[in-house]
Amino acid sequence: MVNEDKIKLMTGIAMFEKREGKKIFPVNRYFRSDYISSHILCSFFCYSASFALGTVIWLLYNIEYILNQINLDDVFGIVKHGAVWYLSGLVLYLLVTWLVYWKRYEYARRGLKIYIAKLKRLEKRYEFQHKAKELTKEGGRHGGASRA
Amino acid sequence: MVVLLVLKESLKSIYGRYAAFVCALIKFFLALAVLCLLNQNLGFMKELGNPAVIFGIALACAFLPYSAISLVMAGVMLAHFYVVSFEMTLITGIFLVIVALLYYGFQPEDSYWLILTPLAFAFKVPYVIPILAGLSGGLLAVMPISCGAVVYYIISYVKQNAGVLTNDASEDITQRYVQLIRSFIGNRTIGVFVVACAVGVLLVYLVRMLSVDYAWVLAIIAGILGQLTVIMAGNFVFGVSVPLLEMTIGIVISLILAGLYHFFVFAVDYNRTEYLQYEDDDYVYYVKAVPKVVVSKPDVQVQRMNNPKRSRRER
Repeated sequence: MVNEDKIKLMTGIAMFEKREGKKIFPVNRYFRSDYISSHILCSFFCYSASFALGTVIWLLYNIEYILNQINLDDVFGIVKHGAVWYLSGLVLYLLVTWLVYWKRYEYARRGLKIYIAKLKRLEKRYEFQHKAKELTKEGGRHGGASRA
Repeated sequence: MVVLLVLKESLKSIYGRYAAFVCALIKFFLALAVLCLLNQNLGFMKELGNPAVIFGIALACAFLPYSAISLVMAGVMLAHFYVVSFEMTLITGIFLVIVALLYYGFQPEDSYWLILTPLAFAFKVPYVIPILAGLSGGLLAVMPISCGAVVYYIISYVKQNAGVLTNDASEDITQRYVQLIRSFIGNRTIGVFVVACAVGVLLVYLVRMLSVDYAWVLAIIAGILGQLTVIMAGNFVFGVSVPLLEMTIGIVISLILAGLYHFFVFAVDYNRTEYLQYEDDDYVYYVKAVPKVVVSKPDVQVQRMNNPKRSRRER
């Protein structure tokens, strides 16, 4: 016979999986430090590539000055300035990355707790149903014996 | 009010039944609108102006995720730019790649803001975008909205200066790059609108999260006022001029759209708010419960008491 409570519970779990699954399950395969550091590494490369592209635009903007007037001291000065900009931007960007992925990990961890709680409830429901079935069987057997 | 609530329930049930179809339809019309906008404002590549091509691209976009749609639109825009000026294409391409690298690692699902923002600017209702972003999402939406605003001003610049950009063969190549980059760096309007969008999103998001009655309405008003303040400040400090009539109409339309969004997404009845207090072993809970305004869809069933086909004689 169809058990309405169990179906509701299973539907709830399936909907939770569909809505939150993408955010929760891939994250929970990692330890927090691994998850955050892998994304920080990825962000480092992305930021460095972006900075390189930004430098290309800067070079295009100042190409005339660079070709005509620049000397060795200016080159050192530009490199120093560039390094300061790069490092300060990198620190800021990595900080944002750390914050975002830390929050995502925490969200996934909480989500997984809820998911496991739902699964446990479903398991208990199954156990209860199983026990109820066994008891009714025993009851039936005893009933048959007394009639005999 | 009741009619609107019934309409809302009907729309919800339609969406529930045909969600995949409705989403594809929305993507199709969004892509179509952006392609028409690009062709109307740029339209330099004649092949992309062909209605069959536009329809085909929009149809393909209906089945793509928003991140892929924004890539397709970026490709179409760069193709139009390429006909006018290689330098412009290169600079815009670099800008878009930087945006993709820095932002889309975090949140590629927010790409629709990058498409919607230039569209809203073109329809003269840019004020609605930060409000909707603040109401629906998080603070990270600031990034695609700001980039969308920059993309709109790039399109406007190319539209206004297409002739100059095409006929600058006499100029030195370095001069061309310098002029293009200077025209964007020196454009105060871009900066003012980017800051206005960022302030709008921030204010709407912060006010919406407050635990006060009518938080969403207050958030919408705060968002509009914040944007207006930044634009006025830009007007006084940098001399950025915005036509007053156009701005007023834009704000009114933005308020209406934001109100509609509020009604369809967050309709609650603050008059029936309940305050509860209870505790368990670890905490004392102070709960504020605000009921949603829900009207059940009328289920009209016509029951015939007589059969009109039967003649009077038979009866």
